[in-house]
Amino acid sequence: MSIRASPTVAAGGLSVSLGGREVLSDVSFELSAGVFAGVLGPNGAGKTTLLRALLGTVAHRGSVRLEGRPAYVPQAGAIDAGFPIDALGVVLMGRYPRLGWRRRPGAEDRRRSLEILEQVGLAAEARVSFGVLSGGQRQRALVGRALAQEGDVLLLDEPLTGVDAPSEAVLLDVFEAQRRSGRTVVMTTHDLAQAARVCDRLLLLNRSLVADGRSDEVFRPEVLQRAYGGELLLVDGQTALLDDAHHHHHGR
Amino acid sequence: MLEALDTPYLQRALLAGVVLAVPLGLLGSWVVLRELAFFAHAVGVATFPGVVIGLVLPVLGPFAGALLAALGFSAAVSASEADHRLRGGAVTGLALAVALAAGAVLLTVLGAGAAPVDRLLFGSLLAVSTGDVLLCVIAAAVSLAVLLPMLPRLAATTFDGTWAGPAGARERATASAVLVLVSLVVVCALPAVGSLLVSALLVVPAATARLMVKRLGPMLVWATGLCAAETVAGLLLARSLDLPPGAAIAVVAGLAFGLLAGGQAAASRLTRVAPA
Repeated sequence: MSIRASPTVAAGGLSVSLGGREVLSDVSFELSAGVFAGVLGPNGAGKTTLLRALLGTVAHRGSVRLEGRPAYVPQAGAIDAGFPIDALGVVLMGRYPRLGWRRRPGAEDRRRSLEILEQVGLAAEARVSFGVLSGGQRQRALVGRALAQEGDVLLLDEPLTGVDAPSEAVLLDVFEAQRRSGRTVVMTTHDLAQAARVCDRLLLLNRSLVADGRSDEVFRPEVLQRAYGGELLLVDGQTALLDDAHHHHHGR
Repeated sequence: MLEALDTPYLQRALLAGVVLAVPLGLLGSWVVLRELAFFAHAVGVATFPGVVIGLVLPVLGPFAGALLAALGFSAAVSASEADHRLRGGAVTGLALAVALAAGAVLLTVLGAGAAPVDRLLFGSLLAVSTGDVLLCVIAAAVSLAVLLPMLPRLAATTFDGTWAGPAGARERATASAVLVLVSLVVVCALPAVGSLLVSALLVVPAATARLMVKRLGPMLVWATGLCAAETVAGLLLARSLDLPPGAAIAVVAGLAFGLLAGGQAAASRLTRVAPA
């Protein structure tokens, strides 16, 4: 890995209003380079808005710092799966910002994109249309597009929601490799158990920052109760979360 | 039939048609991919009252009248469609009907010279002037100059705006550029195919090309090639059977699409039924 400045992500008193409603209020945190942070919280907690504020695409009050270049994996829902493009084409798109949106990708961009396809386990699907890939394969291609951006901070919006187990394993390996190479990884998720396993830092969000720390600091019943409210059940001393999105039960 | 190629009017028509295929095919691909087919048709119709006004106001002229009407329509409709209560083409549909009606009313009230209505609505490729051919060349040159450098932005924003926006693709500027180009290309194509049929050439070859290929580059090439081939075929058919050329071209393009789409549907049914 080449020498890179240590990029950090930080918010200070960050507030965002959308349509006259305060979606995020007074959120402050700091992430140093090489951190894999999980952003947790119920639907409408402001997780996506937090990522968009970090990207600078939504008006906000307070301060936001993102050192280095971001690479972004938005939620998969907004994509036009009928667009005539194959997996390689999707990853190559990640090179466009580096190329100034004008120049065509060259041989080097192509070589790098094929490497990335290998990394996300889609080498054999390089020429397969995006629209006929499985959900998990599509998500791997979209993560590949973000990797092709070669950013310093990887912002992932629910990258593992609705993804099959093999794809999930591949993607978690990829995220971990990114963290090890000194990048900052920020991932929103609904899966508390998984976040506890893979992230070294958890931000529990519900409009404001409810908790920020390691999983043993954040995953305490009284803390989770504050973020999830009535959606949280205590069963035999264990925490069972009625996940608002899928009503999965996560024991702990 | 081929000896008719010697006649200057047919040569001009073929030249105009082939040159027009470049902007129609390139831009048409984006019209199809960005789901602007209905909108593009409405822009075509919206030029009708503009042409009528242009014909009675010599300072304006039909070209400027049509272009102003198309641009005004684009701006007004895309602004109204930002209102989420009116999504799904409601504004486009009503504006289309109003524009057609306004054109008819203006034509009666203003008595726009001797302009035959059917020529305004369906065009007459066999009657294009050298000036009209020049318009087609301008439309082709402007479309190439604007679209080619914009291809990465267009592809990224059309495929996934939520990624392309933050990645710096200038989503809104790209979308506006497409709408302005649609207006320009539609107006330049008016003398050839008229306000009602221009969307046929913008949409049908590109939609046909989409069925043929898996990647964007080949789609752009095929859309342009099909548009040119269908225009030439339609023109020759119109010439030999004495049909209105714009209508003949649209029918040829529609048939090509129908045969391909039908053939593909039948083929996929067969492969599904047949044991592997």
